[in-house]
Amino acid sequence: MYKKLNQLSFVIGLFFTIVAVILLLNNWLTVGGGKISLYTAVVFAVFGVGMMGVRGRE
Amino acid sequence: MNLTTADYLIIVFYFIFVIGVGILIKKKIKSSSDFLSSAKGIPLWITSLAFISANLGAQEVIGMVASGAKYGIMTVHFYWVGAIFAMLFLGVYMMPFYYGSKARSVPEYLKLRFDEKTRGLNAISFAVMTVFSSGISLYALAKMLEIILHWDFDISIWVAAGIVMVYTFLGGLTSAVYNEVLQFFLIVMGLSPLVIVALQDAGGWANIKAQLSPEMTHAWKYMGNANDNPMGLHFMSLIFGLGFVMSFGYWCTDFLVVQRAMIARNMRDAQLTPIVASIPKMLMPLIVVLPGVIAIALMKQGSAYSIPVEADGQLNYTMTLPSLIAHYYPSGLLGVGITALMASFMSGMAGNVTAFNAVFTYDIYQPYLVKKQSDEHYLRVGKIVTVAGILISIATAYIAKGFNNINDFLQLVFGFVNGPLFATFLLGMFWKRTTGHGAFWGLVAGTLAAALTHGLTLAEGKGAWIANIYEIKSGMGQAFIVAGVSWIVNFFTTIIVSLMTKPKPEAELRGLVYSLTDKPKYAEGKWYLRIGPLAIILLLATIILNIIFF
Repeated sequence: MYKKLNQLSFVIGLFFTIVAVILLLNNWLTVGGGKISLYTAVVFAVFGVGMMGVRGRE
Repeated sequence: MNLTTADYLIIVFYFIFVIGVGILIKKKIKSSSDFLSSAKGIPLWITSLAFISANLGAQEVIGMVASGAKYGIMTVHFYWVGAIFAMLFLGVYMMPFYYGSKARSVPEYLKLRFDEKTRGLNAISFAVMTVFSSGISLYALAKMLEIILHWDFDISIWVAAGIVMVYTFLGGLTSAVYNEVLQFFLIVMGLSPLVIVALQDAGGWANIKAQLSPEMTHAWKYMGNANDNPMGLHFMSLIFGLGFVMSFGYWCTDFLVVQRAMIARNMRDAQLTPIVASIPKMLMPLIVVLPGVIAIALMKQGSAYSIPVEADGQLNYTMTLPSLIAHYYPSGLLGVGITALMASFMSGMAGNVTAFNAVFTYDIYQPYLVKKQSDEHYLRVGKIVTVAGILISIATAYIAKGFNNINDFLQLVFGFVNGPLFATFLLGMFWKRTTGHGAFWGLVAGTLAAALTHGLTLAEGKGAWIANIYEIKSGMGQAFIVAGVSWIVNFFTTIIVSLMTKPKPEAELRGLVYSLTDKPKYAEGKWYLRIGPLAIILLLATIILNIIFF
C-alpha cells in the first residue's frame, strides 16, 4: 500500500474515489441531491478506480 | 451559499491529500537540486499537466469566466491565439536551448548566453513579480471566500497560504508539481458538471447563439473594426499584441511555466511537455470561457440565474463562476466546486513560490550573496526562501486589501517588464551576433518604452500620466499596444547595441544558439515520432477551431 501511495496516479485515483463515495452517501442520505450529484459521483468513481489501476513510471 | 458536512468533508480530504503528497515526497529530498529543480526525473504526463496547471490559477479560472460573460466567445483568443502557438514554438525551437544548456533556470540561461548583468536584471524582476503575483492571487481567493461563504478574510489567507507552505516546504518543486496534477484534474472534473448542466439549462449552443448578439458568439467576424466588437480591438492589434508579443513573452520566457518542462527526464520529454500541454489548453475554453457565455444567455432568457450586481448597478462579472456554482451545485457537489476554486488558487500560488525560490537561490543568492557553500547550505536556503516567499505573499495580500489600486499598479509594472522580454530571447537564440550589452540595454529600453507609451495613452480612464496624446478604446487594447511598442524598441535597441559591441566567441555559444547547436537525433526518425509533425497537427487543429468559431 505504501509503495502504491508513492505513485501519483494512485493518489489521484484514491482522492476521486473518496470524493465519489462522499457524494454518493450524501446523495443517498439527503433529499434534493439530484441527478447531477449522482452522475458526477459515478464519473468520479470510474475515473478514480481507473487511475488507481494505471501502472506507470513515476 | 451555505456548506454542509459533505462539502466540508471534501474540502478537508483535499487538504489532507495535498499535505500527504508533500509528506511522501519529503523522503526523496536529499539535495538542493531535488528540492529546487526536481533533479530532472519527472515523467512526461506529469510535467505536461503541471505545465498547464501552473498557469491555471484562481485569477485565470475566475477571470476567464468573467471575460466570457463580458466579451463573449472572443475570450477564446487568450487560448487559441494567445497560448497554443507560443507553447508549440517553445517545445519545437526553444526547449533544446533551455534543456540542452543545462541551465537550472531561465535567468541562468541568460547568464550562459549573455552575461551576469542580464541574468541579474531578469532574476530580480522575475523574483519580485512572482512573489507579488502570488500575494494578489491570495488576496483574490480570500476576498472571494469572504463574499460567497462569509469566511473570515484573515483565516482564509492564513489557512490557504499555510497549506501551500507546508507541502512546498516538505517536498519542494516535486511536491508542487505532483499537487498541480491533482489540482488540474480537480479543476477540470469539478467544473465540468457545471458546464454540462448550465448548457442544458440554456437550451444548448444553438439556442445560446440565437439568444445572444452575434458579436458575442463569433471570435473573429467583428474584429475588422475595433468599434464593432465587445473587446474594442482590431484584429491586427490582437494578433501582434496578444498573439505574438504577450503570448510568446509569457509562454516562452516565464520561468514559472518553463520550469515545468525543464524538469523532464530527457530532452525529448522536455520538448514534448509544452506540446502535449497544448492539447488540454486547446480545450480549456470549454471549462473557463463557455460558462461565462452561458451565464449571459441564461440572463437573456429570463432564467432564475443572474450574475450578481455591484453597488453602482453594473454586473459584477468576477462573481460569474462562484454564482453559477452556487446556483447549480447541490450540497456535496458544492464542496467539489469550492475545492476546485481553492485548487486553482493553490496551483497558481505553489507555482509562483517554487519558481521564486529557485530563481532567488540559483540566480540571486548563490552568484551575488553567498558563493561556494555546501549543497546542504543551499538546500537550507531554498527552504527558508520558500517560507519567506509565502510570508511576503501574505503581506502583499494585506497591502492589496488596504490599497485596492496596488493590483492595477503591479499588473502594469508586470506588463512593462514582460512585454519586451521575448525580443531578447528571440535574438539571443537565433542570432549569434547578439551581445550581452545589447540584451541588457534592449531590456532597459523596452521597459522604459512600455512605461512611456502607457504614460502617453489613455484607455478607460487609465494611463496618460505624462500627457494624453492618444486615446484607445479599451484597456486591453492599450496593454497590447504598450507590449507591442516595448517589444519593437527592445528588438531594435538590442540589434543596434549588439552591432556596436563585441560578441562572444562561437565556441562559448554552442548549445545556446540555433545555428551553433546540433539538432537532436530523434528529429530524423519516423515522421509520427518526430516533434515537428506533432506540433504541425496541433497547429492545424488550433486553426480549425478558430475557423469553426470565426
